[in-house]
Amino acid sequence: MSDLDRAIAQLRACRPIPESDVRELCHKAREILIEEGNVVTVNAPVTVICGDIHGQFHDLMELFRVGGDPPDTNYLFMGDFVDRGFYSLETFLLLLCLKVRYPDRMTLIRGNHESRQITTVYGFYDECYRKYGSANVWRYCCDVFDYLALGAIVLGASNTISPSAGESSIPTTPEGDEVEIEVCNAQGEVMSRFPRPNNGTNNDLQSRTNGIPPPSNTGPPGSGASGSSRGTVGNPAGAVLCVHGGLSPLIDKVDKIRLLDRKQEVPHEGAMCDLLWSDPDEIDGWGLSPRGAGFLFGADIVKVFNHRNDLSLIARAHQLVMEGFKEMFDASIVTVWSAPNYCYRCGNVAALLELSEDDSGLGVLARSNGDVNRSDGGGGGLGDSEPQPMKGPARRYRVFQAAPQDSRGMPAKKPVADYFL
Amino acid sequence: MTSVKINHISSLNEPYPSPSALDAATTTHVQGTFAIATRKLPILKSGPIDAMSARLGIPIPEMIFGDNLVSITHRPTGWSIQFNAEDALDRVDKTGEKMLRVAYAGEWSSSREKTSAGISEVVKPFDWSYTTDYCGTERPGSTGGAGAGGSEGEQEKKLHGDENTPDIPIELLKRRDPILFADEVVLYESELDDNGCSIVSVKLRVMEHRMLLLCRMFMRLDNVLVRVRDTRVYVDFDKEEVIREYTEREDMFENVKTKLFMQGLKLDQVTIVLRDANQVAPLLPLIKQGVESVILGPGISAKTITSRFPGQTQFPPQTQFVRPPPR
Repeated sequence: MSDLDRAIAQLRACRPIPESDVRELCHKAREILIEEGNVVTVNAPVTVICGDIHGQFHDLMELFRVGGDPPDTNYLFMGDFVDRGFYSLETFLLLLCLKVRYPDRMTLIRGNHESRQITTVYGFYDECYRKYGSANVWRYCCDVFDYLALGAIVLGASNTISPSAGESSIPTTPEGDEVEIEVCNAQGEVMSRFPRPNNGTNNDLQSRTNGIPPPSNTGPPGSGASGSSRGTVGNPAGAVLCVHGGLSPLIDKVDKIRLLDRKQEVPHEGAMCDLLWSDPDEIDGWGLSPRGAGFLFGADIVKVFNHRNDLSLIARAHQLVMEGFKEMFDASIVTVWSAPNYCYRCGNVAALLELSEDDSGLGVLARSNGDVNRSDGGGGGLGDSEPQPMKGPARRYRVFQAAPQDSRGMPAKKPVADYFL
Repeated sequence: MTSVKINHISSLNEPYPSPSALDAATTTHVQGTFAIATRKLPILKSGPIDAMSARLGIPIPEMIFGDNLVSITHRPTGWSIQFNAEDALDRVDKTGEKMLRVAYAGEWSSSREKTSAGISEVVKPFDWSYTTDYCGTERPGSTGGAGAGGSEGEQEKKLHGDENTPDIPIELLKRRDPILFADEVVLYESELDDNGCSIVSVKLRVMEHRMLLLCRMFMRLDNVLVRVRDTRVYVDFDKEEVIREYTEREDMFENVKTKLFMQGLKLDQVTIVLRDANQVAPLLPLIKQGVESVILGPGISAKTITSRFPGQTQFPPQTQFVRPPPR
């Protein structure tokens, strides 16, 4: 649809599209999103996972430059597209256009800011009103928010890092070890590489899951389904669950997320609220936030959850981290933050998480799009009876800074001599 | 018409200097016998945050400008007052005694009683609104010379207050004297997990004969409470006198909203005004106020200190000097 391409071009130039086009776009987006489950399955031929954007449009353009242009790169955004920044409208509409244009290459999940209540307080409502002279566009967007998925599962990520630009073979650390984590700058140059701990053995992973019974099912990762002969064994790196906030005490299996009725305003209670609001913390078990609302969860909660659901990693956003990403709890959960120089004054860097495609050929068995029996066939040569501890996917973090001033074009906040009293 | 010197880090295109380059990020302006310095750097990285959290015993707000600094130094005596994030956070209640609850806490917890039984422990209770009565970190001056902060036998110069303490001369500050140096430096900011905001920032303007610094804590807990804590530091460069005034203003969220509605504002406008401490502060009732001063110049060295709070070293004092709001 050429109208859509025109809208994309216009939004890429950071110019809003007419109200009637927004209405049509939101209508189409809803039709696509309504077909998606609460937990979207994403396969990983290079998936880039992004955290909060918060209306920092020009920094989103920088993100696309660093991560690769859609649809060439498969993107997964973990919510909080709007509020705080000056261009929530252009940011969200562009992401939505890309979603409608390339539904299989763009995954958008809901953040706690994708809510009527929060957007009236934190800027998106005002921005829509200012740019259109009415609240209609805000209303259309909020209706789309209600249809956004609550989480995503990334399958088929490789546990070996793919060669960086200019490299011909799979990279190793200077000591010759397998690389688990690579950090690159915005130019794609490798800044640091970290080896997999206890390379070649699974000791650390086994001790992590010590005392936890093996998974009782062998279905597709995260689905809880059973009946597959090979289960997750054929997928060398365990699945990655992506969610905006974190876990919920009401959710012990990913399948329970699938059962929620998500098509509503983000409630103050229940599992849906928790998934969008909770935070990991250095505690044992579950705790209550001192604010009087919201859960905190500790390492043991994450590890048990990951093991029970055949996950190797939880990727989440929601919290500002100065380095752009922060792995916690023996790399069982990572926070990804994609808004550099947050609120145009924090001076922090941002990051995106890139997962490589598993090129062993084993990952393909997870490619079908259904939720059950996905891993049938094409088992490869691995042993098939022992439940293998999940080996985390190789992770490449691309760290980037705020877009240069010239292209940012944000309303000049001239420091005027203020005769304050 | 005048060249206003602004800290170069104010540029939108932040240069991201490393914290080791603190000097490069510091702008110093000398006016008379005083040196006024501001430093602006990005928020702290994880390592320094963890270290600060361990020192203070509370979680650190997500936007923590731990390297930022504003200082006013009287060079002949070495007296100085500085504003930094760690000292401000050190005056946040760490016990949970003054803990607030978000507006929907009741609804939230009652809906969880059945489903989440067993999860009842509040993690690390403390005043997560980051309300602070910080009014700067003072280093006393000595009559004996710069730097040493008062050795034996020398008279220490520091801020004190009593009934003779002068007020900040607001009328003089209303004059549009050319501003020679101005800056605004944020110390910390929290979004209170999207339940409002809490921000401590310092702004200052230096004119030829006087300067004013305002350190303001603005805390808005949506549908619960609005607080403003202001510390004003006034310096008369000619008299070499410093006056510090501290005020607390506070009201229920609903009252503030009602006042704004009564001014004829619509709901949308009210939401916007509630983000702006400058517009909200005048609406809040004054609940505490105190003034202190010190004369640092050599001329009147015998009787330098006037005080409304004799013998007090900690400011604000436990029992506040309260008087009706000005005007």
